[in-house]
Amino acid sequence: MLRSDEPVAVSRLSTLTDAELVERCRGGEADAWNELVERFSRYVYAIIARGFRLGAEDAEDVFQEVFARIYTHLDKLRDESALRPWIAQLTRRLCLDAVERRGREQPTGEVQEEGRDEVEEIDEAFAVREAVTTLPEACQEILDRFFARDQSYRTISSELDLPAGTVASRIARCLRKLRDELEGRSEPAGGSRE
Amino acid sequence: MADERYLDLSVTAFLDGLATRERAPGGGSAAALTVAFAAGLVAMVARSSRVVWDEAPGIAAQALALQDRAAALAGSDAEAWDEAVSALSAAGNGGSAEGNGARRDFELEQKLARAAAIPLEIAELGADVALLAADAGEYGNPAYRADAAAGAALAAGGARAAAHLVEVNLGMRAGDERLERARASEKAAAAAAERLLAAIG
Repeated sequence: MLRSDEPVAVSRLSTLTDAELVERCRGGEADAWNELVERFSRYVYAIIARGFRLGAEDAEDVFQEVFARIYTHLDKLRDESALRPWIAQLTRRLCLDAVERRGREQPTGEVQEEGRDEVEEIDEAFAVREAVTTLPEACQEILDRFFARDQSYRTISSELDLPAGTVASRIARCLRKLRDELEGRSEPAGGSRE
Repeated sequence: MADERYLDLSVTAFLDGLATRERAPGGGSAAALTVAFAAGLVAMVARSSRVVWDEAPGIAAQALALQDRAAALAGSDAEAWDEAVSALSAAGNGGSAEGNGARRDFELEQKLARAAAIPLEIAELGADVALLAADAGEYGNPAYRADAAAGAALAAGGARAAAHLVEVNLGMRAGDERLERARASEKAAAAAAERLLAAIG
């Protein structure tokens, strides 16, 4: 068990659960804060940019405000394991504030609904991304090549030195492992007093 | 019609567009959609084979990914072909400014390369879909074997058409690496389709 007064390498912090990370941030560890920002910056940015399509200036303001609020309100988070939904909720609210400030013509209700759908998709994408990191390296490699880099079976077969006829089957087996990993997860509901 | 989003059209409207005298959509877009149709058939077979084939869900997911990629290329191909033909036409008219010949040639080359790169991608997708179709026909639900065979034949046809376009679009010399890749894809797709068709008689 790690103690908060022990020096911990950032790379090791990356293996902590969200709840453990929150605990360390509350303990005032600078490295833990760096890890939290590293872990959630893409997520926050995805909600801002894809969920609400804010312009560059608003996006930058909201991004900074989100992490400022996380820093000042982290103590109010009731369930440490619910860090991600709390950050999503916080980001969504600040995005809506930004939209209202800009006085867009689109009614707020519609923006809210649209943003929520997008955030659900983003959540799903991040959950998949996280689950992929738990798979054996060979699976991560082959899934990345096929689904992210759009490589053909021929290219994958040649670059990974695999028999040509086995690539699709290997990908299918890796997808089954990924599904098992995702089905074994349960996202706890959470919130804060903020 | 080249600037329209083909995927938003009804099948009838797309077919009408294909039959007009306009140069786009043309063979490349038709080949891309043929490969996409084939991938759809593979996904259908795989989704109907979960009970008899452990890998079926993963095969369906791959087929759907290939279908998305192929369908997206229908529009890209038309656009690239349109640009290449316009550039060729401008070059044939002597271009716009004296002294810009080298730059114009370079730009023309870039556009022609893109016009060949997209059918090459379609040919490779055709090969991948044909391989998946062969697996689906071999391991999937036997009741859907004819659909798997149809998918393999369509994918092979799309790959063949696209490989031909790679060759024609650039008028490339034998030995060009892109042409070799296109032909290899055409052969792989044809072999997979033949294997399955022969197996089911």
